[in-house]
Amino acid sequence: MRFDWSVIWDNLGRLAEGAELTVFLAMVTMALAIPGGLLLAFLRLSRFRLVRGAATAFVEFFRATPLILQIYWVYYVLPVFSDILFPPIATALIGLVCNISSFNSETFRAGILSIRQGQWNAGLALGMSRGQVMLRIVLPQAAMRVLPSLASTWVSLFKDTSLVSVIAVADLSYVALQLRAQTYRILEVLTAMAVIYWLMGYPQAKLVDWLHRRYKVVE
Amino acid sequence: MIASPDSMAARVGRDEPPILLFDGVVKRYGPLVALDGVSFQVNRGEVVCLIGPSGSGKSTLLRCANGLEAVDGGRVAFESVDVVSSAATIFKLRQRMGMVFQNFELFPHLTVQRNVSIGPTTVLKLAREAADARASELLRKVGLADKAGKHPAALSGGQQQRVAIARALAMQPDVMLFDEPTSALDPETIGEVLAVMKALADEGMTMMVVTHEMDFAKRVADWVVVFDHGRVIEQGPPKQIFEAPLVARTRDFLSHLGWHGESTAEAEHATRSAKGA
Amino acid sequence: MLTDFSWLVDRWPFLLRALWTTLYVSTLSLLLGFVIGILVGSLRSYGGRVLDLVLGFYVDSVRAIPPLALLVWTFFAFPILIGHSLGSITAGVLALGVHLGAYMAETIRAGLTSVRPGQMRAALALGMTKFAAVRTIILPQALIRMLPPLGSLFVIAVKDSAIASAIAVPELMRQSQVVAGQTYRGPIIFTTAMVVYFLINYPIARGIDRLYRRVAHLGAS
Repeated sequence: MRFDWSVIWDNLGRLAEGAELTVFLAMVTMALAIPGGLLLAFLRLSRFRLVRGAATAFVEFFRATPLILQIYWVYYVLPVFSDILFPPIATALIGLVCNISSFNSETFRAGILSIRQGQWNAGLALGMSRGQVMLRIVLPQAAMRVLPSLASTWVSLFKDTSLVSVIAVADLSYVALQLRAQTYRILEVLTAMAVIYWLMGYPQAKLVDWLHRRYKVVE
Repeated sequence: MIASPDSMAARVGRDEPPILLFDGVVKRYGPLVALDGVSFQVNRGEVVCLIGPSGSGKSTLLRCANGLEAVDGGRVAFESVDVVSSAATIFKLRQRMGMVFQNFELFPHLTVQRNVSIGPTTVLKLAREAADARASELLRKVGLADKAGKHPAALSGGQQQRVAIARALAMQPDVMLFDEPTSALDPETIGEVLAVMKALADEGMTMMVVTHEMDFAKRVADWVVVFDHGRVIEQGPPKQIFEAPLVARTRDFLSHLGWHGESTAEAEHATRSAKGA
Repeated sequence: MLTDFSWLVDRWPFLLRALWTTLYVSTLSLLLGFVIGILVGSLRSYGGRVLDLVLGFYVDSVRAIPPLALLVWTFFAFPILIGHSLGSITAGVLALGVHLGAYMAETIRAGLTSVRPGQMRAALALGMTKFAAVRTIILPQALIRMLPPLGSLFVIAVKDSAIASAIAVPELMRQSQVVAGQTYRGPIIFTTAMVVYFLINYPIARGIDRLYRRVAHLGAS
């Protein structure tokens, strides 16, 4: 068995570009999925059953089905409904945002509901409207509580971006798999792929653990 | 017979309408009847104490006063205006009633100062400086001016409750509603909160207090309402309730609490000679 | 044209076999993950500081790497290392099981430490060994408490099985792609696949919720 690691060094630039796209996808997705999740959470807490039901159906559907299939599904179904030609990266983002928003909505909903009824009562007793109580009393407290969960979702998302490679979006996975096919240095390239993900992911995972410890909820 | 005719006659039928009126209030939670036709009134300037066993409906009744709980029957009126006539009415009325909770319910993410000023700025639309000035003054009044910049978690229970009182007072309410304000406190800190409440009463604030502190009720209340199983079984001046209750159940309840019928005169003497907390 | 589903009906057995493979892969990877999880979780909780750190490193590392990377590595690279080829299903179960095992280990560790220390003291006071105490007293309580997170890990196992399509495991996702390629009816076939996954996962998630509510009191100490 002879290993030829030079393949990696020679193609570091391409791999770095792939990693860059991975990070880009994750950041854009989360940026859209936080307001998306908040919106879905509010819709799920709505007074109107129809709104609640529709939002819940959306969230449950995207949580119960595989992301890889969702990405494929969006890729195939979107052209049927619109004449605009979406580039693969856009369809990938749409799939990712729908998926992560659904998970975020659960996080936000749990955070909002975890705030004691007494806090609502205290705000209402001062004469505040429900909206004011939500905005000034409940959401700020809920925000601190959801931070660890959001951070965990981020780490998950970071790994999930690897799935966009199946529709030929040039993230780290796609670049690595292309490289493997081109150079036949299977072990070296795939190991490097895992290592690069590890280098990016391990510190993030530790950070998330720290966040969980720091923001542990003590009633 | 739940109250002597003379004392009742003196209360009802005055020129001024009662500030709070409860008329046959009914409240159900599913099959459970929490309030079963409760009727009494609170006049301006009075301190009315609600006493009775746990679960007898006192706290529920208090929450009906400012619309935090909706009634299923009967009428709740604030200065002759029905409390539940509309959502807009409820918001306006809540501004004129201050509520203090058993668990303090201070807002943990805000400083003590901001806890007191948030009502005036958000609801009364006061300018920030004016609200802060009012907050500082009230914190000084309850003896916590030095804690203004701290967060609630840094304060003791008694201190938090005093801040909660300041928070309610910041809205300049016409009536203060207290829901077992000292039940969650260590015995050492109960005194400091009761002292603040007594000072408030002495200034003429109208108060409705749900409490287990019989001493306080006896010394400070103008009228006592006794609850049991969702009904008012007796109401009258403290002298009647604590020294010569008309209803046997009242006597049972009080003796159960270890109340040995100390006279109001003795209690008043004790108040005057005790040092402030 | 939209009402002609004969192509779907013709392929029914094909897709049913694919569904079977999905369930097969999910269950096996869950089992493997569970075994790894119990071992690693228990060792981390009760095995001393060094073991805790070393296993912690394994757990955190696996959690940092995408399942896709693990899958392709196990199927394409690992055989080179051991000089022996692996079937796609074997590689799939191995990779997914190891990945799941890291999450299981964390869940189980959290569950074990959530049981009150007094329970362990009581068991030891009765003369039990640490091993017996964990097996008969701590673990059962911990498992009940962990039902909700374990339920979600089950759902994750089924969803991750779809990633195995990348190494040509003939599960539902992969075979849906095949049919889509043959018939050009992508939207319909993938929608059908989505519905099937939903019909598997949603009842499981709700079922575990319901089960937990019924037995939760048994795990509260």
